[in-house]
Amino acid sequence: MMSGDELNPAAVPQPVEDLHGDGRWLSQHTRFVQECKDGEPEVLFVGDSMVQLMQQYEVWREIFSPLHALNFGLAGDTTCNVLWRLQNGELENIRPKVVVLWVGTNNHEHTAEQVAGGIVAIAQLLTNRLPKAKIVVLGLLPRGERPNPLREKNAAVNRLLCSWLPRLGQALFLDVSSEFVHSDGAIGSQDMFDYLHLTSTGYRTLAKPLSDLLLQILEETPEERRASLV
Amino acid sequence: MSAEASNPAATPTPCEDSQGDGRWMSQHVRFVSESKDREPDVLFVGDSLVQLMHQFGIWRQLFSPLHCLNFGIGGDATQHVLWRLSNGELDNISPKVVVLWVGTNNHGHTAEQVAGGIMANVQIIHNKLPHAHTLVLGVLPRGRMPNPLRERNAKVNKLVQDALSSLSHASFFNVDPGFVLSDGSISHQDMYDYLHLTAHGYQAVCEPLHAQIKSLLEKPAEN
Ligand SMILES: [Ca+2]
Repeated sequence: MMSGDELNPAAVPQPVEDLHGDGRWLSQHTRFVQECKDGEPEVLFVGDSMVQLMQQYEVWREIFSPLHALNFGLAGDTTCNVLWRLQNGELENIRPKVVVLWVGTNNHEHTAEQVAGGIVAIAQLLTNRLPKAKIVVLGLLPRGERPNPLREKNAAVNRLLCSWLPRLGQALFLDVSSEFVHSDGAIGSQDMFDYLHLTSTGYRTLAKPLSDLLLQILEETPEERRASLV
Repeated sequence: MSAEASNPAATPTPCEDSQGDGRWMSQHVRFVSESKDREPDVLFVGDSLVQLMHQFGIWRQLFSPLHCLNFGIGGDATQHVLWRLSNGELDNISPKVVVLWVGTNNHGHTAEQVAGGIMANVQIIHNKLPHAHTLVLGVLPRGRMPNPLRERNAKVNKLVQDALSSLSHASFFNVDPGFVLSDGSISHQDMYDYLHLTAHGYQAVCEPLHAQIKSLLEKPAEN
């Protein structure tokens, strides 16, 4: 959709280099591709550690697992890495009704415009591959205990997503970032244990509006649902 | 020791704020502040394997009742923990037991260097807390299939175990319940990313660890 996407480094598919030599990134991708063959998810979560860690908490089993959700979160991933995974098997054999996309806070080498463009490129790919699916893009969260340039960058990414995503038609934007910064500008360790990753309390803050939105999308009338089957 | 001075894993080093949000230092400052308000009997210190333990139900179930503090920071290597322990995290507390779990993030260091880094941490804990017993947890195997990092971690454990055997104020504790299956693989049911533990993996690690800590707490203080 946006001209110049091919020049955006955040929209270039890229696998993670196995710098440490234990092959963990590729092992996880391979497992996700395998899970596509075994499962018929209604909801697919894809993204970085914010997605991945969610699966380790009670909130996943309690709220998201019952929606028939798969979790393809991989810690440290950038938009480039998610793009590569989705182009290399993680969308094969599945036809989820909703994809929840949460990535971008690890794009340290990219500007806000590039990160937002990378996220839109992923949403575009999802829309092309799953034309009947809704794409829920989660806004990037603020990070760092105190105000800092990365918070400003993530907020700028969210502003761009808010204006660009509606053009895709199938994409919805859910932004809960304002819930985590206290009036004095601080983020509490009760919400983010390392001022980036969420505690179970932090995930609860996201889970309510997200599950409301997912249920709303999934609870289409049976006629609509049947019509949407290809 | 001159050998340690040239070992990067045994040289106290703050984590560089390469991302620019100051999270590492924020966490260290919080730990120092927490140490002023509390009187923990047990201190856990280390990397993400320590830090994430705090996020699971097993922490509240087994360790909170023992009056434990958790000073784990994701990504920390031995030299980072050494810096933290040298810069305030031990200055206001006198725990009876210190649980040290670090080493798997020492990328680019040899097994000898990592073991030296772990022993440097044991030494500073002993200097600052002469009456505490340090329980050094073995670094876990990692990666879905056999790989060089598994071999290095196994060698680190052997070296540390040997070095600790002559010390009365510290001991080695193997917390690996057998995460490597008979085909050489590690299951994502135990380690969701083949490094970090699931709730199920933590349960297998924490139950024997809890028993070991309890028996150390019941012993009279060492001198
Ligand atoms: Ca000993």
